[in-house]
Amino acid sequence: MKIITWFGILTLDDSGKVVEWDMLSKDTGALAERLVQPKETNMAIPPAGFDLRTAAIECGFVGSTGEYNTLLRDVSIRAAKKQISGGTPDMGIIQAVEALDDIDDAANSLSERLAEWYGMYFPEVGLSSEPLARFVAKYGSRSNVSPDDRLYEKATSSMGAELTGLDEELVRGFAENICTLYDSRSRIEEYLIKSMETTAPNLVNIAGALIGARLVSMAGGLEKLARFPSSTIQVIGANRALFKHLRARAPSPKHGIIFNHPQIKNSPWWQRGKIARALAAKISLAVRMDVYSGNGLNESLKTELDAKIESIKAAHPKPPKRESKGGSVKGKGRSQNKQQNNKSGGRR
Amino acid sequence: MSTKEVSSGIFEITERGGKQLATINLVPGASVYGEKLVEIEGCEYRIWNPKRSKLAAMMIKKFNIPIERDSKVLYLGAASGTTVSHVSDIVSEGIVYAVEFSPRTMRDLIGLCDVRPNIIPILADANRPQAYAHIVEEVDVIFQDVAQPNQSEIAAVNAKQFLKKDGHLLLSIKARSIDTVANPKNVFKEEVKKLEHEFDVGFEILDSRELMPFHEDHLGVMARVRK
Repeated sequence: MKIITWFGILTLDDSGKVVEWDMLSKDTGALAERLVQPKETNMAIPPAGFDLRTAAIECGFVGSTGEYNTLLRDVSIRAAKKQISGGTPDMGIIQAVEALDDIDDAANSLSERLAEWYGMYFPEVGLSSEPLARFVAKYGSRSNVSPDDRLYEKATSSMGAELTGLDEELVRGFAENICTLYDSRSRIEEYLIKSMETTAPNLVNIAGALIGARLVSMAGGLEKLARFPSSTIQVIGANRALFKHLRARAPSPKHGIIFNHPQIKNSPWWQRGKIARALAAKISLAVRMDVYSGNGLNESLKTELDAKIESIKAAHPKPPKRESKGGSVKGKGRSQNKQQNNKSGGRR
Repeated sequence: MSTKEVSSGIFEITERGGKQLATINLVPGASVYGEKLVEIEGCEYRIWNPKRSKLAAMMIKKFNIPIERDSKVLYLGAASGTTVSHVSDIVSEGIVYAVEFSPRTMRDLIGLCDVRPNIIPILADANRPQAYAHIVEEVDVIFQDVAQPNQSEIAAVNAKQFLKKDGHLLLSIKARSIDTVANPKNVFKEEVKKLEHEFDVGFEILDSRELMPFHEDHLGVMARVRK
């Protein structure tokens, strides 16, 4: 019987004794390579209780147990480093998507603070989030607002306190910091769009770069996404609704993050589920093309999808009639404000 | 301040009436995860917190830890290497095969392996011992802390492949990862029964105790294989 070990191929006789050996060279790099991906994938593993260490010494691979330890340690550290260093482009995409979310969180809470803070000095400004940050970073105190700015009138007649000296410096610096966050956000978005177009052109073509990136991030990688069935892709990001459906009697979610696709978002509610199903089906095909075929962009998917969506829209131009109001409402989990739910995304 | 060796390589440091577990630092001067270093009579100890380590909790719960100075240990679920570092201290003349599945935590573990001479890092799934059977030799002790629903199966397949005759298995069973809603006591009973009867390795349960108050809903189990 031939068995595979990290230092070579051994041939054992029936009693488990080593009768023949084929040692590898004592090169750490090559051994590490073999450790991760043995060439002989169909060969047997050492039988339970086989003494690898003694075999290595008897075959003359190493001189002592000390050498065995040192060499095995070096090799396996090298192999492990190699295994975790797989920096594929989709890993960069995942980090970028998460960074985008972190920036949104941070920018939102800082913007709220700025709105409160600056409101002391110019309550009539009527701006929020990015425009406010840009405005404060540009002018600081409202006495600096230039006459051609559309807020000039309001600024001169404001009931707010005067913003001067150290206070102005602080508020303005704070606003500048928020602006750099927004700048960095748009740079990350550009990166995502570019990176997605090169790594997953078909996915971008069907789902759009940002939704595509989000799908990749939630699946944990492009290849993992390619292995998902389209029914899973349809509801990625609707975890709460999905588990509520599986656990209780709640209705199944129609769409996860693909809801943000304009074709779904801008369609009337009774078509959304059908369109989401068609879209998810094409997305899963697109990702598989990107991962497994590598032939670049294939336009036929997009035309098929458009045709499918057209036919859905043609077949269901009007909302379905409800046979009895009571029965229909009973089926819905949170029925009181169903219309609103579709908008706000409680159940997607 | 005084020290007492409570098990091979594991010390109890008495300081101002309080007692703490510690191991002798194999790499003096280096603290692995922010633990306190204490020097007593020219020997540097690393304080071992039972709240952060199931093995330390088992020690305090008076398990008869079977790890010796020259033991070979297979450690399943090494994570970032908090406990692994102490095992590495204990087996100063032995070796630790540390198996971990997550590449992210492997990053920290490799940092540890780089400075310690007796840890072999293995990035693999403990469910599939055949994936590392060409690396790991026969061992004296398997320590397992994997928090998976099929923990006992994992223990059995690994013990079958790697554990020597009369070798010991140290197992931390997390009730919540087997059944989140069931009463932990029942889960423990089931798991211990399963270990004893369901596998052909022949586990002989030597000891089993809950790791309260250090780890909620965890059971420490020590077993021997008859094979």
